[in-house]
Amino acid sequence: MEYFKSGLKSVLGTPVVDDQPSGADIVERLVERVQHSTLLADRRDACRALKALSRKYRIEVGAKGMDALCQVLEQDRADAEIASYALETLKLIMNNEIYDEEEIPDITAKDSNKLGERFTEIFIKKQENVGLVLDYLEEFDFHVRWPALQLLLLLLTNKAKDVQEIILVSPMGVSKLIDMLSDSREVIRNNSVLLLTLLTKSNANIQKILAFENAFDRLFDVILEEGNADGGIVVQDCLNFMLTLLRNNISTQNFFKEGNFISRILPLLQLPANDEWPIQRINNVHAVLQIIRTLVSPTNPAQATSSCQQAMHTSGILKAMCDLLVANGVPRNPLTEAISTVAELVRGHNDNQSYLEAVKSNGIPSKDVLVLLLWSMLNDKQPFEMRCAVLYCFQCYLYRNDFGKMKIIQKLLPLEKEVTETCASHLLCQGLFSKESLSSWFAAVALSYALIDNPDGKEKLLNVKLASNDPNPPTLLQQIVSSIQTTDKAQFKIGHLMFLSTWFSHCSLAVESFLKINNGIPYFITQANRLENEEIEEIVNGLSTFVMGICLAFNPETVENFKKDSLRHLITKRIGVETFMDKLNDVSRNESYTRASKHPQPTAQNPQSLLLDYEFCKLFKMLEGMIMRALNTLPGQDDGEKLVSNQKEIDELKATVDELKTELTEKTNRIEELCRLANDSRDDTDRMKTELFRLQENHIALMHAYQLKENELESYRRLLAMHGIWNENPDQQQQQHQHHPQESPMFGGGEFTPHHLQQQQEPTTVTTGEEKVYQPMLNEHERNELIRNDLNV
Amino acid sequence: MSYAYLFKYIIIGDTGVGKSCLLLQFTDKRFQPVHDLTIGVEFGARLVSIDTKPIKLQIWDTAGQEAFRSITRSYYRGAAGALLVYDITRRDTFNHLTTWLEDARQHSNSNMVIMLIGNKSDLETKREVKKEEGEAFAREHGLVFMETSAKTSDNVEEAFINTAKEIYEKIQEGVFDINNEANGIKIGPQHSTGNSSIPGGNNRSSGNGCC
Repeated sequence: MEYFKSGLKSVLGTPVVDDQPSGADIVERLVERVQHSTLLADRRDACRALKALSRKYRIEVGAKGMDALCQVLEQDRADAEIASYALETLKLIMNNEIYDEEEIPDITAKDSNKLGERFTEIFIKKQENVGLVLDYLEEFDFHVRWPALQLLLLLLTNKAKDVQEIILVSPMGVSKLIDMLSDSREVIRNNSVLLLTLLTKSNANIQKILAFENAFDRLFDVILEEGNADGGIVVQDCLNFMLTLLRNNISTQNFFKEGNFISRILPLLQLPANDEWPIQRINNVHAVLQIIRTLVSPTNPAQATSSCQQAMHTSGILKAMCDLLVANGVPRNPLTEAISTVAELVRGHNDNQSYLEAVKSNGIPSKDVLVLLLWSMLNDKQPFEMRCAVLYCFQCYLYRNDFGKMKIIQKLLPLEKEVTETCASHLLCQGLFSKESLSSWFAAVALSYALIDNPDGKEKLLNVKLASNDPNPPTLLQQIVSSIQTTDKAQFKIGHLMFLSTWFSHCSLAVESFLKINNGIPYFITQANRLENEEIEEIVNGLSTFVMGICLAFNPETVENFKKDSLRHLITKRIGVETFMDKLNDVSRNESYTRASKHPQPTAQNPQSLLLDYEFCKLFKMLEGMIMRALNTLPGQDDGEKLVSNQKEIDELKATVDELKTELTEKTNRIEELCRLANDSRDDTDRMKTELFRLQENHIALMHAYQLKENELESYRRLLAMHGIWNENPDQQQQQHQHHPQESPMFGGGEFTPHHLQQQQEPTTVTTGEEKVYQPMLNEHERNELIRNDLNV
Repeated sequence: MSYAYLFKYIIIGDTGVGKSCLLLQFTDKRFQPVHDLTIGVEFGARLVSIDTKPIKLQIWDTAGQEAFRSITRSYYRGAAGALLVYDITRRDTFNHLTTWLEDARQHSNSNMVIMLIGNKSDLETKREVKKEEGEAFAREHGLVFMETSAKTSDNVEEAFINTAKEIYEKIQEGVFDINNEANGIKIGPQHSTGNSSIPGGNNRSSGNGCC
C-alpha cells in the first residue's frame, strides 16, 4: 500500500524523492492489484492509477498491463467505471502521438512514434479483444460507449486491414457499429461516421453489409438534419462515408440506384442563388459531386452507367448540375468539378446530351452554355484545370452523339447562311490557329471529337474554306498543313497532327486531298527524319510518321506519285522501315501516352505537358498494326488494297442485299394480297356451295311434293272415273300436270311458299332418287290403300 | 418506384444448391446453367403485389461456402424473410439444414419468416431427398415448404411471393414492429407518416424514381 500511495503521489506531482521506486515498479504493483485484488473498489482504484500513469510510463503500462486491462474488460463488465478506466488506458497506450511527459528509453527512441501501432498489433493478436471492445459499444452509458468508440477508432487508424477482418467475422460486429449512427448524442454519432468510414475503406464485404443495414438511409437523415450542403463538417463526413461505400463497388452502386437514393442527392445541390460560398459548402458540394461521378463513371459497366445517367435525369440532378454551371458566384474549384460532373452525366447518353445542348446562360442575351464553356477553354486567362474540364465536357457531349457531331461540322460549311451569333464550331475553328499553343491544342482535339466515327463529316469537312479577303481562300486542310510547317511550337503541332490523323483515318477522300497539297508529304518525310533529343519533339516526329502511315493504309490510289506502291517505296528509301517503326514506338512509349490512355478525362501536371489525348491514343493503338502491315506487304498483295476491295465487295453485297430485301418485301406483299384474294374466293365458293346445296334440297323437296300431288291427283281421277263422274275440265288437270315439271327445276317465283314446302316435306325422309324408282313399282293393292287413306281423311 | 412496404430477404443454404439461380429467375426471369460462385453477397430487387399493395422485395443472395459463413451471418439480423434452400439431388445439402436453421434462429429476429425450398425439382431422376422428407422437416421446425426449379421457373414466383404474403400477414396481425427498420421492413415513401420534414420537391421526385 505504501508503494501504491507513493506512486500516486508521483503522479500528482509531489517532489520525487530519490529512494522512491521507479515508474516500472509502480506500474508492476498496480498491475498486480488490478489482476489479483478481490475487492472491486481496489481494482477500480488501481485501474484509475494506471490510466494516470499511462502517458508518462506508456511502455511499462502497455507491456505489463495489457493483459490485466483486457481481463478487466472481460470480467468487470458490470461496473461501468472500471471498464471506462480500462478502455481509456488502452486508448492512451495505443495512441500514436508522443506525450510531452512521456519517458522514452533510448533504445526505442528511433521509432517511438510507432509505439501506438505496435501495441495495437499486440492487442489485436488476440481477436477476442476486439470483440470485447465491440461489446462495450452496446453499453448505452456515455462513459463506456465513448471510450470504446474512440479505442476502436484508434485500432482502425493503426491497423485498418486486420481490424476490418476481425470485425467482419465477429458476430454482428458491423451491425453493432451502424447502430451508433442513431445515437442521439452528437459526439458519438459524428465519431461513428468517422469510424465507419475507416472500417469501410476498400472492403467490399463491409460496404455491402452497411448498405444492407440501411446506412444510406441513415446518412441522408443525418445530412438533412444537419442542413444539407450548408451543414457543417458532419455533412462532409457523411458524404465521404457514402463515397467510401460506393467507390469501386458495383453492388452497392446498384443498390443505391435501385433504392432510389439518387433522388435524395438533389436537395444537396439546391443552393441559394447569388450566395457566398463558405469553405464548408465548397467541401460539401465537392463531396456530393464525387458521389455523382462515382455512379456515372466511364469506367463502370456501360449498362450501370447509363441507367444511373437516366436516373440522374429523371430525378432532376442533371438540371441542378447544369444550373450550377450557369449560376453566379460559383468558386473556381467547385465549378471545375461541376463541369467534369456534367461531362460524365451526359457521356454517351443521347437524352442527356441534348439536354445539355439546350441549356442557356442566365445573362442577356442568353447564350448556349456549351459556347460559353468553349469560350473559357480557349481563353488563356482561365485556370488550366477548368480548361481541361471543359474539353472533357465537350468530348463527353459528342461521345456517341452522331447528331451533335454533324451539327458541329454543318455549321462550318459554306452553304450555311451567315450567322451573327458565335457558335461552337466557329469558336473552335478560330481556336485552331490561336497564338497560344494550348488553345490551339484544345481546339484541335475538341474538333477531332466531331470526326470520330463520322465518315460523312470527314468528307464534308474537306469543303470548308477559311474566310479571308483572298479571292481564292485556302481550305481548312491546306491552312492546317501550312500552319504545321510554319510554327515552331510543339504542342501546336501535336494538336494539329492528332486532328489530321483522326480526319484521315478511314477516309480516302481526305487522304487524297492531302496528297494533292504541294509540299505536304515531303515536309512530313523531312519531319520524320529529324533526329531529336527532346521527348516532346519525338512525339511530333512520331505523329508525322503516323499521318504518313495513315496515308499509306487508306491510300485512294488516285494521286500520281503518291500511290500506295510509290509511297511505300518512298518511305522505305527515305526513312527506312526500322526507323519508321521506331518513330511510331516513340509515341506509344511516351509517358504522356500512358497517362492519356488511362482515362478519358485529360489531365496533366502543367499546361506544357498536355500533349496526347485519350481518343487519339485509342485510334493510334487501333491503326498501328494496320500501318505496319501496309508497310510490310509486298506490292501487289496489299492488305490495304484488299481492304479497299473488300470494302467495295461488301458495299456491292450490301447493295444486292438491299435490292433483294426490297424484292422480298414486294413479293411478300404480293403473296399477302394473293392469299387475301384466295381467301375471298374460297369464301365465295363456300357460300355458293351452301347456296347450291340449299337449292338442290329445295329442288328435291319440290320434286317430291310434285310426285305426291301427282299421285293424289291420279287416285282422285281414278276414283272419279270409277264413279263415272270424270268429265270436268280435263284440260285444266292436264295443264297443272304439265306446269309443275317445267317450273320446279327453275325454282321460279313465289309459287311454292315455305309453308307449302314444309307441309309436303314432312312425310318424306327418303330421297327422291329412290322415290322415283319406287313410284312405278307401286302395285294395285298399294294404290288402293293410298286412295282409301286419302278418302278417310 | 413507389411501394407500400419494402421487405428484406436473404437466401441461404449450401453452396451450389441454386440460390443465385433462384434470385436470377425471380428478378430477371432467366436461368444461367453455369455455376458462378457468389462472393460475399449479391443483391437483387423486384416489385410484387400482395393484396393489391405494391411491395418491393429486396433480396440479398449470400455465398454458401463455409469461408463466407461469418460474413453472411451479418445479414440475418436485418432480414424479414429467409429462403433456406437445399438441393433435392444432394442429400448432404438436406442434412445441413439443421445447422443453417440454428444459425439463422440465433442471429435473426424471432419473427423472421423462413421458407424451406427444395430446389432442382426438374431433376426428378437424380432425386435423393423425397418431397415428404422436406415436408416433414418443415413441419417439425415450423417452416413453410416448397419444391422449386430455378431452371424451369416452377414455383419460383410462388416461393418469393408466399413468403411476402406471410410477412404481410404478420404485419397485419401486428407481430412485426414496422417502425423498427432492423426488422427488415420499411414503409414506402408515400405511406410513411413521419416524413413531413422532407421538402415538397423531394416528395415529387421520389415518385418518378429510377427503376
